[in-house]
Amino acid sequence: MTKINMTVNGKAVTREVSGETLLSEFLREDLRLTGTHIGCDTSQCGACVVHIDGKAVKSCTTLAAAIDGAEVTTIEGLADGDLHPMQASFKEHHGLQCGFCTPGMIMSGVDMVNRYKAEGRDVTAEAVRHELEGNICRCTGYHNIVKAVQDAATKM
Amino acid sequence: MANGATGIGARVKRKEDKRFITGKGKYTDDVRMENQAYAAFVRSPHAHANVKSIDKSAALAMEGVVDVLDGHQLTGDEIGNIICGWAVNSKDGSPMNMGAWSALATQKVRYVGDAVAVVIADTQQLARIAAEAVEVEYEELPVAARADKALEAGAPEIHDNAPGNLIYDWEIGDETKADAGLAAASHITEMEITNNRLSPNPMEPRSAVATYDEAEEHYTLYTTSQNPHVARLVLSAFYNVAPEHKLRVIAPDVGGGFGAKIYIYPEEITCLWASMKTNRSVKWTSDRSEAFITDAHGRDHISTAKMGFDENGKITGFKVDTIANLGAYMSLFSSSVPTYLYATLLSGQYDIQNLHANVRAVYTNTVPVDAYRGAGRPEACYLIERMMETAARELGMKPAELRAKNFVRQFPHETPVIMTYDSGDFDANLAQAEAAADVAGFPARQGEAAKRGKMRGLGYSCYIEACGIAPSAAVGGLGAGVGLWESAEVRVNPVGTIEILTGSHSHGQGHETTFAQIVSERFDLPIENVAIVHGDTDKVQFGMGTYGSRSGAVGMSAIVKAMDKVEAKVRKIAAHQLEASEDDIVIEGGEVKVAGTDKALGWHEIGLAAYTAHNLPPEMEPGLKESAFYDPSNFTFPAGCYICEVEVDPDTGKTEVVQFTASDDFGTIINPMIVEGQVHGGLAQGIGQAMMEQVIYDDDGQLITGSYMDYTMPRAADLPFYSVHHASTTCPGNPLGMKGCGEAGAIGSPPAVINAITDAIGNNNLSMPATPQNVWNALQAASAAQAAE
Amino acid sequence: MDMTGEHTISAPREAVWAALNDVDVLKLCIPGCEEIEQTSPTTMEAKVVQKIGPVKAKFAGAIELLNIEAPASYTIQGEGNGGVAGFAKGGADVSLEETDDGTILRYEAHAQIGGKLARLGSRLIDATAKKLAGKFFDNFQEHLNGPEQPEEG
Repeated sequence: MTKINMTVNGKAVTREVSGETLLSEFLREDLRLTGTHIGCDTSQCGACVVHIDGKAVKSCTTLAAAIDGAEVTTIEGLADGDLHPMQASFKEHHGLQCGFCTPGMIMSGVDMVNRYKAEGRDVTAEAVRHELEGNICRCTGYHNIVKAVQDAATKM
Repeated sequence: MANGATGIGARVKRKEDKRFITGKGKYTDDVRMENQAYAAFVRSPHAHANVKSIDKSAALAMEGVVDVLDGHQLTGDEIGNIICGWAVNSKDGSPMNMGAWSALATQKVRYVGDAVAVVIADTQQLARIAAEAVEVEYEELPVAARADKALEAGAPEIHDNAPGNLIYDWEIGDETKADAGLAAASHITEMEITNNRLSPNPMEPRSAVATYDEAEEHYTLYTTSQNPHVARLVLSAFYNVAPEHKLRVIAPDVGGGFGAKIYIYPEEITCLWASMKTNRSVKWTSDRSEAFITDAHGRDHISTAKMGFDENGKITGFKVDTIANLGAYMSLFSSSVPTYLYATLLSGQYDIQNLHANVRAVYTNTVPVDAYRGAGRPEACYLIERMMETAARELGMKPAELRAKNFVRQFPHETPVIMTYDSGDFDANLAQAEAAADVAGFPARQGEAAKRGKMRGLGYSCYIEACGIAPSAAVGGLGAGVGLWESAEVRVNPVGTIEILTGSHSHGQGHETTFAQIVSERFDLPIENVAIVHGDTDKVQFGMGTYGSRSGAVGMSAIVKAMDKVEAKVRKIAAHQLEASEDDIVIEGGEVKVAGTDKALGWHEIGLAAYTAHNLPPEMEPGLKESAFYDPSNFTFPAGCYICEVEVDPDTGKTEVVQFTASDDFGTIINPMIVEGQVHGGLAQGIGQAMMEQVIYDDDGQLITGSYMDYTMPRAADLPFYSVHHASTTCPGNPLGMKGCGEAGAIGSPPAVINAITDAIGNNNLSMPATPQNVWNALQAASAAQAAE
Repeated sequence: MDMTGEHTISAPREAVWAALNDVDVLKLCIPGCEEIEQTSPTTMEAKVVQKIGPVKAKFAGAIELLNIEAPASYTIQGEGNGGVAGFAKGGADVSLEETDDGTILRYEAHAQIGGKLARLGSRLIDATAKKLAGKFFDNFQEHLNGPEQPEEG
């Protein structure tokens, strides 16, 4: 067991974890932040995406012990207030159905828009589709997800 | 009484969204019980083998292992075999050959993934490690991995009571007439058509948390189900887990279903039983690779078909012979999929007088096959629409023209395969789709693409499906073991807010919004005042669940029936208190009024009056709560026209869907935003089937597409924006005039895609999935054939 | 999957044959072999750790020698159970031909995998099997001949 300290959704967290505990398990089982979902076992689906130090990461490929000291944001901690613009856009554009992939989609979308804005690039539909390569949705056919991310980009 | 902002036809944003976008949804795997243990299954790595021995000693010796249970213990406790609930007889009248399926195999394993034991341990990780320590000795048997091979003489037999692996040999229609129709044809189109095997892949893997209360002898099961009441019924009546009143089934937020979560699988049965055996809550959550070998697969048909035409392009006869792979065991609805959900739709949108289909269902050493989004209807649509497009090419006619020559235009229309189409305007859908897709401009786009070295093609699909499943007496007559009505309860609280209890289950469809819309419309109340309760057998009286695009046409109809009763009572109370005639009472604007006067009671005052019961009409019972069961009188028949436009890169075979246009007839639409979302998702799954998805077994019965590294799920960059339109006719069969929209996209789209690609490459011999490799090979074959000429 | 190969070993046929039947040599040469024990003149039990694609498993299995035509040829057959990872089994017809340079060892091998190995590793099994077979014969050659001398150029 290793003692780790991290900041999760703005709160300091200290826990003992075993070396093989994945961040996704740590968030879900130890911290009971169950908004981070696990949809596959080969790091393909992206339902588990969270932000580590501001960058989107698949929490199922990250060992909790390996990010000691990091700042982690999950879907539960994304909004500063009621809803983050990305969350609001997903609702506005019907970018979700069953909701299972949604936390990962939103976290990936936020990261993408942040990067594109920082680099001064346009958040085109093609770019969104390319950037969401690592997030699988089975319900929406992506149409409304792409619209939601593009719309959120104008509001972030 | 219409409420324009939140009533029927309004694009209301979803009430359920907030919890999902903030990570507060509650799915089964999010449930954690006190004293919870974890299950891990010991599964066969062999496709077909005798189980010689199971050595549990090493696993049992591990610290933290609660127990290791096997199939002998399960059957010893009289847990029943898993059944198929729809009896389909062979054409000679003999019943289908249903082989025994125990939740944990005792003698023999029949597919890779068949469970033989379960480990219950304190942690999930420990359960998995201990499962590895269970030593099972197998005696391998020869394998039949493909349906056509399983039917060959000398193929290994999978169940003793299914000689030749044949489950049934079934037919529908009149073979003599179909033969005569073909004999009279001036042109016959003949094709061999395969419908590729798919894995449904809802993003939330299946999960179950079972708790046994020893003192009450009562079980609670949280599970990923599309139909918790059916789960309870089957678990109780057939699997003998517990009597219904001692079993509560809760399906909380469910992350997609697509058919895969209709059935009651070995894992849920085992978790319930194990919770009693160990006196612990038992949780099991599938991982994705486990899902690939346990969730029922879909499709997997091999067919040959002949369609005859006269000189004018009218269909004279149609004959189909299909082999359907049902896997190693018969899953809950498996028998109905390639029969009553498939062959009954083989008339398509066309007036075909002479039609015959023969279907042989076959056991193989593969995962059980059952309904997946569309269930039988995509297979029928693919077959007919590939035939029509091919025939048009052979006859030198425009594909739209050949279809239009054969459209059904008089309703009701009785097909030779037992369906009675009640409404539709196929010309309108065709015209709308052609206009929206700018078919007239296609030659110019094709020419422009050719300049860029790309081959551009256009393909049609005119689909019809039977939804609103289903009239109970009718399906009962066809062998269904259950009725397919739906129930609802409308509960007006003393403060006037309303709870709708429904037997439908929402796992992405947005019922919390659309069901509230019909209440908002009916009673002219703010949608915020309406809550939808579903997914819990302790809360909702009964229900048949959500599949077969039935929640609108059947589930909402039950709500309407219950609202009729509530309204009647409201009118009586209001008439009594306002001293007016019931006929003069109008409900609008949050009030119950006497028409033409200023006499009115607030809606909440009526609620309160019903519960205080101080001043009710004589003999009236207090309270304002009504329930109803709605049994449909017919299926509904959503239909439409899809047009797909593709560009193929001839150097690589890589194909891009550049435009996809849909014109659907869903009858009344409650919320266009949600309906369009359903179409988008269905189209993505249909395009996925057409272009990338396929479950592949090798000859030894090993699944070699067992993860997202090998089973190609459609991703955002694989798909276009869709152009979705509606040209609707009202369904005469139910009070709201709804037809259903959940499956259309998946049913109608695959043939449109393949018709477009085959149009582009000039070779009709192309099977799904049209991967770059398959398209490239078809292109090479086409140029080789051209060179030979 | 099937594969064939041919290796020239600069040792007399008898020496090669003896090595092919020596459990200590086999243990040294089989990649990932942790233990091997002779249970009869023609059977052995072995524990081998292997990684195929993303799946790492410890296989406990039996090896049997069949069709023995000493010192010219035999069939070696093995079957390993990797627990939840699945199973692997395979065999090889091995023949030895005497030449002026020593011995030509030829083999025709086939392998089959099942369970999780097949689901996750099937794309990689051909390459993995070829690599393992290559490694075995490299080890074997090295054992008999000493490390190959780099060619002078």
